[in-house]
Amino acid sequence: MTDISNPKTPNPKMSARNVNVYYGEKQAIQNVSIDVDTDNVTAFIGPSGCGKSTFLRTLNRMNDTVASARVTGEITLDGEDIYSSGMDVVQLRARVGMVFQKPNPFPKSIYDNIAYGPRIHGLASSKADLDQIVESSLRRAGLWDEVKDRLKDSGTALSGGQQQRLCIGRAIAVEPEVILMDEPCSALDPIATAKIEELIHALRGRYAIVIVTHNMQQAARVSQRTAFFHLGTLVEYGVTSEIFTNPRELRTKDYITGRYG
Amino acid sequence: MTAPVPSPQPDRAPTDWKGAAMQKRIAARYSAERRFRTLGLTAIVMSAGFLAYLLISMLHDGLAGFTRTEIAMRIDFPTAPIVLDPASLRSANADAALASVNWQSLTDQAAQENLGKDSIWLAPSAWVAVRDAVKHDPSVLQKVATLNLPASAELDLAAKSDGSDEAEAAYARLDKTGLVHRAVNWSFLTASDGTDPTQVGIWGAFKGSLLTMTVTLLLSFPIGVLAALYLEEYAPRNRWTDMIEVSINNLAAVPSIIFGLLGLAVFLNTLHLPRSAALVGGLTLALMTMPVIVIAGRNAIKAVPPSIRDAALGIGASPVQVVFHHVLPLALPGIMTGTIIGMARALGETAPLLMIGMRAFIASPPGGITDPATVLPVQIFLWSDEVSKGFVEKTSAAIIVLLAFLLGMNSIAIYLRNKFERRW
Repeated sequence: MTDISNPKTPNPKMSARNVNVYYGEKQAIQNVSIDVDTDNVTAFIGPSGCGKSTFLRTLNRMNDTVASARVTGEITLDGEDIYSSGMDVVQLRARVGMVFQKPNPFPKSIYDNIAYGPRIHGLASSKADLDQIVESSLRRAGLWDEVKDRLKDSGTALSGGQQQRLCIGRAIAVEPEVILMDEPCSALDPIATAKIEELIHALRGRYAIVIVTHNMQQAARVSQRTAFFHLGTLVEYGVTSEIFTNPRELRTKDYITGRYG
Repeated sequence: MTAPVPSPQPDRAPTDWKGAAMQKRIAARYSAERRFRTLGLTAIVMSAGFLAYLLISMLHDGLAGFTRTEIAMRIDFPTAPIVLDPASLRSANADAALASVNWQSLTDQAAQENLGKDSIWLAPSAWVAVRDAVKHDPSVLQKVATLNLPASAELDLAAKSDGSDEAEAAYARLDKTGLVHRAVNWSFLTASDGTDPTQVGIWGAFKGSLLTMTVTLLLSFPIGVLAALYLEEYAPRNRWTDMIEVSINNLAAVPSIIFGLLGLAVFLNTLHLPRSAALVGGLTLALMTMPVIVIAGRNAIKAVPPSIRDAALGIGASPVQVVFHHVLPLALPGIMTGTIIGMARALGETAPLLMIGMRAFIASPPGGITDPATVLPVQIFLWSDEVSKGFVEKTSAAIIVLLAFLLGMNSIAIYLRNKFERRW
């Protein structure tokens, strides 16, 4: 695969160089090099099974939980190799938060869902401090007004869209530097999806955001940079408006015009 | 390269949904449904019937074991040949003062005066009741008191129309005088094993069971849960863990008598722990219960959705935090259900305890886990072996107590499960 796309961005937060991922014998990602920009939302698009979620999970080493997964190449966060032996995985995952495809709040109260991360990382010095973190996180997740009177209710009692915003609030409560979102809207209805997209706009700039989506309109709406994956390779990476209006690769063009996918 | 379009089959006739063959098929389907329902209902009715028969026959035989026949006796304490200062009974050495009196001869004399030749129908241990009455209320020493003393086992059986002709005649005679009546036998719940069926109680065996179960729970629960957590959350999947899994599953199926032999060989012969003690019984039953807890625990842990683990890992929880903050609390109701099932099985276990000497005759309740003790099922086994007819109803009564104990444990399990069960 020739290097058609330029992996570099002006202000990279994370950089991947020549990354390969294997599940046992099978190679899921081939030689991917890409930067994640600090101030922008980066979207990974591509047909099902193209490896975009797998690649996303290498960015906070969630693939470590899969026994057969093996990663080669180099991924850095602020210039520091996250696969080096000196990197603490637990702390890495606090710095690179993750929101999953299916809303997965803990079966605890709304308050405890948000407070859990700050508690285990010792981010709050007092109860008042923790209350403050919970409120600000829920506000930034756009959920505060809906739940402020029932913080003691179970997080699982919320609607799907509210649960997903709760999960985003839970991720930002530990003040990560990067937030990875793995198809965060695929289980939601259009109204809840619109709310999440608004939220992503509001969070842009404060956190580097990477979103995996198979909804091309969504990628066009929320992201500034888009990467198109196909069959485990990165086909094209660039500014979102250019990818959607003027793709350089035929495969990208075919995909975004709906010829396959 | 496109797949060939399947050609239409003009030779296939349209399905005749109303035809005779189809009607027959429908009728067969309906009768299959009916047959299955009937079979299921029969199975339920049969198992309910067995259960009802067991309960009714146990209650029928056993409830009488909770009552006893008493004979009202006037005892003239002021003229009786005893030297006992009521004041000394309120002092610290009351027991010594009580022990100085020959209660047996006092009781025998009173029986002679009250009943004449029928005094033989008083229980041999009736003097204990006299002593306890004085101990309980020393003021009776200054007056003529009427005490209800237990009748002998033969008269008790006669009262239940199950005695010898002689005893039944005596009972009819005494009944006419209005001296005999039936009363709740509280001492059955407070006494221990004995040779006289009117005197025995299950408290000793009950306490022995309680102590044994405590030892079993304290050992098997933490070890079982930690083993289950390690195997599910930490252990790699390889040949060794497969072998461990198979071994644990086999261990759960090993006949209990073999655990008894193991306990005998290891705990008694090698470690020289005290024989017949709740400690050894508990250790042996813990070996038996642990695999059950491991299996139940692993299933409960497996049932915790992986998305919860992902969520916790994704915000930087360490593996130990994931396990103890999220997985274990969610798996706990299932683990507890499995634990109680294992404990209930251990509670009803007799064979391994016979091997480690818990079938000894023990007339006083154990004071601790190293004292000689017996347990409820072994007590039932021992009483069912007794020659004296009075033990029959005691055996059934003890079975009722054991069943009540089991019912209590299972109720706690259901309560805990409902209380801690969470939805996700």
